[in-house]
Amino acid sequence: MDVSQYLGIFLDEATEHVQSISDQMMVLEQEPDNQEAVNEIFRAAHSLKGMAGTMGYKRMQMLTHRMEDCFSAVRSGTLSVTSEMMDILFQALDAVEGYVDTIRETSDEGDNDNENIVQDLENYINNGGASGGGDAAKKPAKKAEAKADKKAASPNAGNEKAVYQTLNLDDTQKGVLKDAIVSGKHVFGFTVYVQESCLLKAARAFLVIKAIEENGDVIVTDPSSQDIEDEKFDLCFSLFCISDETLEKNKEAILSVSEIEDAVGEEYTEEMIDAGPRQAGGEAEPEEEESGETEEAGKPAEADEPSENLPAVPAKESKPASQGGGAPSKKAAGKPVVSRTIRVDIEKLDTLMNLVSELIIAKNTIVSAAATGGGDAQKTNGAITENIEYLESVTTNLHEAVMKVRMVPIESAVQKFPRMVRDLEKKLGKKMNLTITGEETELDRTVVDELGDPLQHLIRNSADHGLESTELRIERGKPETGTIFLNAYQDGNSVIIEVGDDGNGIDVEAVRSKIIERGYASEDVAHQMTDKEVINVLFDPGFSMAKKVTDISGRGVGLDVVKSNIESLGGDVEVKTKLGEGSTFIVRLPLTLAIIQALMVIVGGEKYAISLDSIQTIEDVSVNDIKLVQSKEVIQLRGTVIPIIRLSDVLGVESTNADAENFVVVIVKKGDSLAGLIVDELMGQQEIVIKSLGKYINNDRLISGATVLGDGEVALIIDANTLI
Amino acid sequence: MAAEVEVYKEDVVTQYIVVNLGLEHFGIDIKYIDNIVRVPSITRVPNVQHYFKGVINLRGEVIPVMDLRLRLELPEIEHTGKTRIIIIKLDPSAAIGVIVDEVEEVIDLKESQMEKPSTDNSENGLGYISLVGKADRGLVSILNLAAVIGEKES
Repeated sequence: MDVSQYLGIFLDEATEHVQSISDQMMVLEQEPDNQEAVNEIFRAAHSLKGMAGTMGYKRMQMLTHRMEDCFSAVRSGTLSVTSEMMDILFQALDAVEGYVDTIRETSDEGDNDNENIVQDLENYINNGGASGGGDAAKKPAKKAEAKADKKAASPNAGNEKAVYQTLNLDDTQKGVLKDAIVSGKHVFGFTVYVQESCLLKAARAFLVIKAIEENGDVIVTDPSSQDIEDEKFDLCFSLFCISDETLEKNKEAILSVSEIEDAVGEEYTEEMIDAGPRQAGGEAEPEEEESGETEEAGKPAEADEPSENLPAVPAKESKPASQGGGAPSKKAAGKPVVSRTIRVDIEKLDTLMNLVSELIIAKNTIVSAAATGGGDAQKTNGAITENIEYLESVTTNLHEAVMKVRMVPIESAVQKFPRMVRDLEKKLGKKMNLTITGEETELDRTVVDELGDPLQHLIRNSADHGLESTELRIERGKPETGTIFLNAYQDGNSVIIEVGDDGNGIDVEAVRSKIIERGYASEDVAHQMTDKEVINVLFDPGFSMAKKVTDISGRGVGLDVVKSNIESLGGDVEVKTKLGEGSTFIVRLPLTLAIIQALMVIVGGEKYAISLDSIQTIEDVSVNDIKLVQSKEVIQLRGTVIPIIRLSDVLGVESTNADAENFVVVIVKKGDSLAGLIVDELMGQQEIVIKSLGKYINNDRLISGATVLGDGEVALIIDANTLI
Repeated sequence: MAAEVEVYKEDVVTQYIVVNLGLEHFGIDIKYIDNIVRVPSITRVPNVQHYFKGVINLRGEVIPVMDLRLRLELPEIEHTGKTRIIIIKLDPSAAIGVIVDEVEEVIDLKESQMEKPSTDNSENGLGYISLVGKADRGLVSILNLAAVIGEKES
C-alpha cells in the first residue's frame, strides 16, 4: 500500500478546499463579521492541514497550519478581519495552491518553504494577540475546555460505540502493549467510524492509520489490516496503538482525516489490557492472560520481535515512507502524475444503467423474434423491424446520456475569477465588480478545461483596457464602481459566453491610428478598413493597444491567444463595442466536440461531411449567375457578393457535375464572412461522431477529422472555416 | 560478469512477422503489431503525404493507412487476394495501417543472427532498415518502424 494511490483524492479535495477558502475569504472581505464564513474557512483550512500532513507534505502542512491559527484567532475573536490580513492570507492561499500544483505535476511538494509568508502570518497573529492582551491565553483554555467536553461525552457514547473494548488480543499483542506502557508510552484503543457516504473506506482507514503512526505504532486492527485494505469492513474499524502522544492528539489526528464520522477511544492501562474483552467476558480468558504475562516476563529481550512479526500495518507502513522519497525521481517527467478524472452525478449514471438494460431487452426481443418466427418470414420481419425502431430510440437516448456524462458546468473554469478581479482591483486602483451568471451552463469537460485561460485574458482585458479610471468614471457620470460581467448560456447547439464591461469601449479611431503608427498597415489601407476590420486587428498576434506594458496586459499576447484558444476548441470570438459605453466579447463554443450535426455531401464520388454549425444556407445556382471578379468566381446572393470555391478543386477530385447548368452551392459562414462551396450532390443531414485522423497523417487542416457512416464507410469532415 | 552478460545477450530472441514486397522479405517486430486485416474499402484523404492511401474503418476506429511499397519507394502494384494491412501500434494510442503484398510467417531471430545493414546496399538510404536477419529461409530486412511510420515528410 502506497500513499500515491490516494494522491488523486488528495488533489481533488485539496483543490476543493482551496477553492472554498478562497470563496469564503471573498465573502469575509465584504462582511468581516460573517461568522459562518470564518467557520467554513477554518474547517477547510483544518482539513487541508490534516490532509497535507497525512500525505507527508510537511511544508504545505506548516503553511496551512499557520493559516488555520490565523482563522482560529479570528473565530475566537482575538483577531479582527482587516484588509492587511486578507492580503497575507490570499498570498498564503496562493502558496498553498502552488504546492497543490507542484504535487499534481511531480507528486512532490517541492522545496519552497514560503518562509516569508509563514513569517508574515506568525507576526500578524502575534501582533494581533498582543493588542488583544489576555485573549491569547484564553484561546487555548477554551480549546481545552471544548476537548474536555468531548472527552466527557465520549465514554457515554462509548459503551455502544467502543467496539475496541470487545476485541480479543492474543498474548504477543498484549505483551507488546504492556511493554509499551512499561516503557512510558501510552496505549489506546480506538474505534473509528467512517461516514456512510464515504466512497473509499479503505483509503480513509489507511489515512487514519497513517495519521496515528505519525506519533506511534498501530499494533492490532480489527478487522485485519488486509481486510481493511480490501475494504472488508462495514462503517467502523477498531485498533490498538502505542503512542507518545495523548489520547486527544491521536483523536484529533484521526478526525482530521476527511469523511471520518467519529472516533471513540480511551487509554489502556496494564490492568485493562489484562482484563480482556469487556463485554465478551470469557472465563477462559484469565488463564491465557496469565500465561501470556509469564511468558513475556520470561523473555523481555524478545519484546521487540513480536511486533515485527505481527501481520499488522506497521511493517507495511515503513514502505510508503521510503517510497515517498523515491517516487518524485521516478516521476520527474513533466507530465501530471494523476490521471484525469471526472465527477459524475449519480443520476446520470442511473440513467445510463437504465438505458443499457433497455438495450439488452431490445436485443433479446430481436433474438427471440428471429428464432420464433418459424417459417413465416413476413411475421419475423415485422417483429424485427418493430424492435429495430425501439432499438433506435434506445441508442439515441443512450448516446445523449453518455454525452451528458462528459458535460460539466463551466463553474470550475470561472470560479477563480472573483478572486482575480479582487486582486486586479487592488493592483490597478480602479473600483470594479464582477458579476457572473450562468455558471451552471454545461459544456464538454475537455472544453471547460481549456476555457479558463482565454476567459481570464478577456476579464483582465476588461479590467485593464476596458474600464476607465475611477476619476474618469465620476467625471463621465458613470457609477464609480465599474462592472465586468460574464454571462453564459446555451443557444441551440452552442454555448455562448459573453465577457464585457461598462467601460470605455473600443475607440476604433484610436486603434486605426495605432495601426498606422505601428506600421501595421499603410495609411491608405488603414483608412479604407471598416470598423469591423479595424477591431479584428486587435486579435492579430503582436498587436497591443496598451500605452505601456503592465504585468496585467499589454504585451500583445492577449487577444490573439484568446482567439486561437477558442478556435482550437471549435468556437469563435466576436466583439461588440460602443464607444463610451463598453464592449462585449462574445465567445461561441460547440456544446460538445465529439458529436456534431453535419450535412453530408458528395464531391467527385466521395462522401464528405460539413458541420451544420458553419452552414448558412444551401442555394441552387445557375451557371450564368457565377461572375468573375478579379479572376475569382463569385455569386450575388440577396445583395451580397460571395466568393465561390469549387470543392472538387480543393479536394483534388474530378467533379461529376462540372458541366451542369445548375450547381448546388453550400453557403458557409465564419463570423460575418461567407463563402459558397460547390458540391456535386447533397445526401442530407446526419449526426456524426468525430474521429481524429491520427498524428501520422499530414494534411492542411482542411480535413478536421473523419467519421464512420452507417454502412461502415469512412467519410471525411471538411472544416469550412479554413476555406474562408 | 562480463562473460555472463555476453551469454545473456546471445539468448535474446525476438519474434518477427515476415512480410513480402515482391521478392524482398521484411521483418516487423511482433510486439508492435496489433492486428493483421484484409484490405477494406479505403477512403482517400486529400492533400497528404503520397504514401498514405487514406483511412479505413477498423471496428469503429478510423485508422490511417500507408502503402509500404510507396514508403520504400518501390513501384505500386494492384492489390491481390494476399494483400494485407498490418495494424501497428508504436504508441498505444495511435494505430496505423501498413499495406504489404503478403504476410508470410512468424520467425524467431536471435541477436547473433542479426547484422547491421551495409551502408552501400541501402538503395533508399533513409534508414528504414535497422538490421538484417539471417533466417533459414534467407535474408530478412528488419524494418525500423519509428522511421517508417513516425517520420513526417516536410
